[in-house]
Amino acid sequence: MAPFDLVHPRSTDEALAELRTASPEGVAVLAGGTDLLLDIDRARIAPRRVVSLRYLPWKFLEWSGDSLTIGSTLPLRALEVEPRIRQRIPGLWEAVRAVGSVALRHRATLGGNLVRSAPTSDLSPILLALDAEVEVVGPHGSRWTPVDAFLSDSRRPRLAFGELVRAVRIPEARPSAYHWQRVRPVNDISQVGVAVARSPSEGYYRIAVGDVLPRPVRILPAEEALRSRPPTDDEVRSAAELAGKLSPFATDRRGTEEYRRHIVAVLARRALLAIRTAAPRGPAP
Amino acid sequence: MSYAVRSDALAKARGAVLYGTDIESPGMLWGALVLAPIPHGTIRSIDLTAARAIPGVTAIGPEDLPRLLPGVPTDPERPIFPSTTIQYHAQPIAAVAAPTLEVARRAAQAVKVETRQHPAVESIDEAAIGPKPEVIGHVHARYGDLDGVFRTADFVLTETYRTNSVSQVALEPHAAIAEIRDDGTWFVRTSTQSPFGVREDLAAMLGIPESQIVVEGTWVGGGFGGKGSSLVEPYALVLAHASGRPVRLALTYREEFLLGRSTLPSLIRLSSAVRGGTIVGRRVLWKVDAGSSLPGRDFATGYGVGFTVGPYRVPAIELEGIALRTHKPPLGPHRAPLAPQCAFAAESHMDHLAQRLGVDSVEFRRRHVWLPGDLTHLGQTVGPFGLSQCLAEAGARARKWRERLPENHGIGVGAGFWSTGTGAGGEARLFLQPERLRIVQGEPEIGSGSVIRGLAAVAEVVLGIPRERIEVDYRDTATAPFDSGVWGSRTLGALGQAVEKAARELRAELAKRTDAPEGAIRLTVQGSELAVEVDGVFRPVREILRREEIENGGLTTYGTHYGVAGSFDALRVLDGTFYPYTDFTGAAHVAEVALDPELGTVRVVRYAAFHDAGRVVDFETAKAQVEGGIVMGLGTALTEEGLWSPEGVLQNPGLVDYRIPTLAEVPPIEVHFIEGFLGAGPFGAKGLGEPPIIPVPATIANAVRDACGEGPTELPMTGERLARHLKLLRT
Repeated sequence: MAPFDLVHPRSTDEALAELRTASPEGVAVLAGGTDLLLDIDRARIAPRRVVSLRYLPWKFLEWSGDSLTIGSTLPLRALEVEPRIRQRIPGLWEAVRAVGSVALRHRATLGGNLVRSAPTSDLSPILLALDAEVEVVGPHGSRWTPVDAFLSDSRRPRLAFGELVRAVRIPEARPSAYHWQRVRPVNDISQVGVAVARSPSEGYYRIAVGDVLPRPVRILPAEEALRSRPPTDDEVRSAAELAGKLSPFATDRRGTEEYRRHIVAVLARRALLAIRTAAPRGPAP
Repeated sequence: MSYAVRSDALAKARGAVLYGTDIESPGMLWGALVLAPIPHGTIRSIDLTAARAIPGVTAIGPEDLPRLLPGVPTDPERPIFPSTTIQYHAQPIAAVAAPTLEVARRAAQAVKVETRQHPAVESIDEAAIGPKPEVIGHVHARYGDLDGVFRTADFVLTETYRTNSVSQVALEPHAAIAEIRDDGTWFVRTSTQSPFGVREDLAAMLGIPESQIVVEGTWVGGGFGGKGSSLVEPYALVLAHASGRPVRLALTYREEFLLGRSTLPSLIRLSSAVRGGTIVGRRVLWKVDAGSSLPGRDFATGYGVGFTVGPYRVPAIELEGIALRTHKPPLGPHRAPLAPQCAFAAESHMDHLAQRLGVDSVEFRRRHVWLPGDLTHLGQTVGPFGLSQCLAEAGARARKWRERLPENHGIGVGAGFWSTGTGAGGEARLFLQPERLRIVQGEPEIGSGSVIRGLAAVAEVVLGIPRERIEVDYRDTATAPFDSGVWGSRTLGALGQAVEKAARELRAELAKRTDAPEGAIRLTVQGSELAVEVDGVFRPVREILRREEIENGGLTTYGTHYGVAGSFDALRVLDGTFYPYTDFTGAAHVAEVALDPELGTVRVVRYAAFHDAGRVVDFETAKAQVEGGIVMGLGTALTEEGLWSPEGVLQNPGLVDYRIPTLAEVPPIEVHFIEGFLGAGPFGAKGLGEPPIIPVPATIANAVRDACGEGPTELPMTGERLARHLKLLRT
């Protein structure tokens, strides 16, 4: 491992200033570090300066009515142990629990996962299904952008050099579910991930899949197949079939395209049936 | 039942023991290997110039060997470096040593290798494209009226099973530190299961007598068969010789997968003739991928093939085993080499036969299972063997679990047998000192506890000495008594017998000196020292020992064990070398699985194991051994497999895509011992290192068959493989 300087800015301005003075090749941003340290160890990158976000005041969790804003550097474990997330946004809780192990979730962060933008992310699909938005801070201030617009290419989100993700907002708590499939059920990379959510205010459904190239996506025709309120069994079945058929899967060493399509059709059906009539549990925050 | 606190537990928990990867030596260099970039081809050139230009770097290649080796190697099939032909991807073709690990790795990368690639043989599957594998081993046995029983059978069931590569995945990689001593001794400290075996390998590879080589085993962070023979030691030694400095060489984890000694794919075709509800004949064709190995070929065929029949009486049999050479790394032993794979085929076949007959699979097994005095497929007499009783217990447990079985769950039973390696020799020396008993012997503790706890327990029982007063002392090959090594589940069964003899001799000597009957001798603690207690009278050991004994390390006794292998009916062998068994051990396992009927995924819900291990010498250690074997077997059954490209390159040399079980998948495990069928080991103990893994894939496969009516035919049973086999995919 090549040596590097580790800096700990204490405010958003200090963090942005660190990036302003550096060159893109020479600097890396550290959130949880679960991917970054592997990259450095395997010499995929060799930063001379690592800017740690650890001491920024970004580890917050704020409910505003039924809307939730999550600081980007809050460890995933904090989301997992928050009972209101489990009750009000069960899909998010299931997706968080799908990431790595407890030990890893004590370090890994939601912001890090989004900026990493792995096609295999277990969190991107549920954020898509929840219509989440990302707060990007940079030299020109702060802007909010939908996760769908933030995700772009594999490992390349729409985030300019010098910008950071400060927070993620989930506009409303939704009946939701995240189902995944792996060769080994834990501590493995998913073969597929399916997130579904139903808007309690508007009644519409979102269906998003992960482990597709180049990034997790919503499958709009599958969402549109769910016309009735609540959708009929036939509608659920055809939406699930469409999700399997239309997901941009590929074959790799974790599984074939054919198997993935089959799995998504099964998991999407199960997930939709699980949320079709579910109401948010627990008192509204 | 007592709870055994192992004498190494505290030191290991504190990180105080030195594993192979922990040892450093003043002035040492760090080694790194240069690996073949292709699986098969000709080396056109190896240019070490750029590596040697880096300050402090020593680099060696094939051309340097004649100059550097102290003698002429006597084993041409295991060259240190290949001179011209690359036989597998990542075969070491050059090596470097440097003052730091970073520089060593940089130097290894600076070595320029030019090769001409040839097509590689990757698969033993007849349908595979490309060149066909060469037959390098063949065994064939036959007896009984085979044609007759197949002609008159009620029905014949023929099926083919396939298994894939599994790696040992010891936590600690292979690591050695070598130096050439001033007196000309080639000295290596290494993480190994067999210091004396490594010495023998090195003598052949270096071309010098064993007396010029000293091997010292370090603490071993897991072996599982992967550290049974030499791997990194010759490179470390030759680098030490070339550089004039101690050299430490450890494999990276990627290298563990690439050039470790995995179990490779096999293909098992079984055909059984059934008449009147019993098996009257069986034909087996077994093909095993031996990789580029020549040394392992006989063992792979002649030993493994017997496990395709299972521990059952079959009156007519034809067995054929074929070892095929491919451009994979050499085949190696992985805990009970190939037996779990063969048992998967044989035991799945048993369940399938029972299913066809509409009879209970446990009762069907018990109709055929070996009883003491029966003859094996090769006509060897079965000794004390409690598998029938294990099966009865397993069957009862399965019936109990079946009383409340949720939908899509299934219950399976699988059996397995093994032969304790008590034929191989070992020796031990005991030193009774005023304050402790030392057992000096030649096996490193590899983690199972069989050395540090098992050998101590033997002395504890014979001499009645408190365990905290026993010290098991491991010595290098120059000073330790000879031992064959930690393999074949033999430590307690074989080396334990040497300890037992030495302990009995010590007891006899103490009886003589105290004028007491042998059976009355007990060593107890009086104050801070040991005393001999005879009928309530205490005599301090210090007073019993002669002065020169106290000054020279204690009262010494010596025990040796050189076992006699069993014998079989040689007339049944048509070709090749078969191996007899010693000390039959057996186990029957029960699993409940939950099968997802749409996804093809299997979750093991609960598990029970019933083992005949002879007399259990230390329950906690034995139980841990069974649990560990079952967990390891879960990987073989469900997730572990080496993925090879058509070019013969391993695609998943790492723990992300080579999936060993994690604690989250481990079900509740019950462990039971069926005692009373005594083996040749101390007090009737039999080996228990390998038996626990053998029935696991079969047991889980049979539970899947129970859940859905269809049995898996290939390992590992991943979700995708099962979904395809069960035709769940909508094509």
